[in-house]
Amino acid sequence: MTEFIDVDVRPILRAGGEPFSIIMAALERLEPGEGLRLYAPFKPVPLFEVMASRGFAHRAAELEGGEWEIRFMPDDGSVEAPEPVFAASSEGDWPEPAVHLDNRDLDPPEPMVRILAALERLAPGQTLSALLSREPVFLFRELSKRGHQWRGGFTPQKDSYQLTVRVQP
Amino acid sequence: MIGTSLCRWAISYFAVAIVWLLLAEALMVVGFGFPNHDIGAPETLVIVHMVSIGWLSTVLCGALFQFVPVLVARPLYAERWTLPALALLTLGLMVLLAGFLALGGHINGPPWLLPIGAGLLIAGFALVVANLGMTLWSARPLPLPARFVAGGLACICVTAAFGGLFSLVLSGTAIGAQWPELLVSGVPIHALAGLGGWLTFTAMGVSYRLLAMFMLAPDGDARLGRLAWSAGIIALAVGLVGGALALWRMTGLNLAFLLAGTAALLSLAAYGRDVLGLYRTRKRRALELNTRMSLVALTSLIAVAILGAACLATGTFSSHVGALAFLLAFGWLTGLVLANLYKIVPFLTWLETYGPVMGRVPTPRVQDLVAERRASKWFVLFFAGSWTATLMLMIDAPLGFRVAVAAVMVATLGLSEEFIRARRLTDVAAAQRLPTGAAAPHLLVSRN
Repeated sequence: MTEFIDVDVRPILRAGGEPFSIIMAALERLEPGEGLRLYAPFKPVPLFEVMASRGFAHRAAELEGGEWEIRFMPDDGSVEAPEPVFAASSEGDWPEPAVHLDNRDLDPPEPMVRILAALERLAPGQTLSALLSREPVFLFRELSKRGHQWRGGFTPQKDSYQLTVRVQP
Repeated sequence: MIGTSLCRWAISYFAVAIVWLLLAEALMVVGFGFPNHDIGAPETLVIVHMVSIGWLSTVLCGALFQFVPVLVARPLYAERWTLPALALLTLGLMVLLAGFLALGGHINGPPWLLPIGAGLLIAGFALVVANLGMTLWSARPLPLPARFVAGGLACICVTAAFGGLFSLVLSGTAIGAQWPELLVSGVPIHALAGLGGWLTFTAMGVSYRLLAMFMLAPDGDARLGRLAWSAGIIALAVGLVGGALALWRMTGLNLAFLLAGTAALLSLAAYGRDVLGLYRTRKRRALELNTRMSLVALTSLIAVAILGAACLATGTFSSHVGALAFLLAFGWLTGLVLANLYKIVPFLTWLETYGPVMGRVPTPRVQDLVAERRASKWFVLFFAGSWTATLMLMIDAPLGFRVAVAAVMVATLGLSEEFIRARRLTDVAAAQRLPTGAAAPHLLVSRN
């Protein structure tokens, strides 16, 4: 049986904070074989990739009120590992976005075109933030092909998707 | 977050499916099958399986391979299984049809054609169900549209199992001889699971997400969606379990179907109400042709529900079942599929051609790959033809039916040409068509 260390990021997010470093710090403290149980106000999809790249499989369960409990456990090979992508590197904080885009009212695939066009004009290491009406599933492929990194997830109200992309340094 | 790529063979599935649709329409135009033959005659079975397996199931499988990964944000479990599945389904259907033709005395064929054809089809569907099922399994808990797909996948298993048993009965094998009653009670279950569960339920789930995407609407009312899903599952479960019990004379078939029908109507009402809500809360005011035509197809589904209930109430259901099945298969399912292909084919083609250069050079819009004014006349002809054909079946006018299906076939040919033009980028202004770094797509296969 996997022992779980609990991390509740709901108060941090409600206070407008950034829980990423706290999750990573908790991860550093895990003993071999231990897992991490995370409570979040929304499904932290981008985190799954980060955790997968560190050898953790996950099981997500929705709680009352749209909140989520996610158990990350050391992947012993029983769960198929997702393909490696360049998503969301864990290295430190990214610079403030140089460009903000609100693409919520654009017809698909226009949001994707604008994001890629804006990225072409950014210098290496700069970031862009975009609001979208949906998860841009076809965009991620293009981002990883071009070597960009990204973090993203639905806003707590679930009415839009917040994406931050960093141009390959 | 894993990005979704193009399914290499989805376009091939669409092309094979359209060929089957045109073949079935051509046979109906020349007077092959119902209403010129008996509704249970081998000729009718040829048409029914060309439409339900060759056209609808094949096109749905292709669409699911592309869109289930989008619905659940997971890659397809085994992309390499998609081409063998297409080959098995196509070959299996050809052998099955040959079996029906032999049964009707049109060709001389050995009796094992039907079981062999059914076996190949079951193998093909097993590959499809395993592939999509494993993809869904990796993404639990499932979002609502994906749950509809899961229900549909369960139903195709039931449909295929009954189809396999029928093939044993119809080919006169010793195993089949133990089940003389199977064809009487089993056919409604086979048809309910296939048309209602697999094709309609799955189409409802996928169209939910596509309609919301293309109308720029927020996701639908979760309570209505859950009601549509659970009432639909209850309808299918009551129909299938009740039907199976009726096989052993433990319940009446009619009672089971009455209860299932009531639950199905509740499911459709919740779904229709939810789609109407999407339409009202959409951000995109001017709707594209594919969305408008999807809504027209939905009116056919509502008409089937109303007409079906009226026929049941007046006791004329059995004499109008052919007309209702035609309206369900053409007005609703075929109409919905053609409308969505009109968006999906240009969208996938656009992504394949301009994805690599997007943001670096000016690219055309997806809308530049299509000519809606030209295509809309084909859709008008298609729906007018389908509804007229249904009416002709209702008033028992076989010649009128054939003329109406001829109009449907012309419309199908017209739309096929539109899909080919989109694939070949014919309607894109020459200066924009192939910027440096972009390569023209192949007609029948996608690069992924």
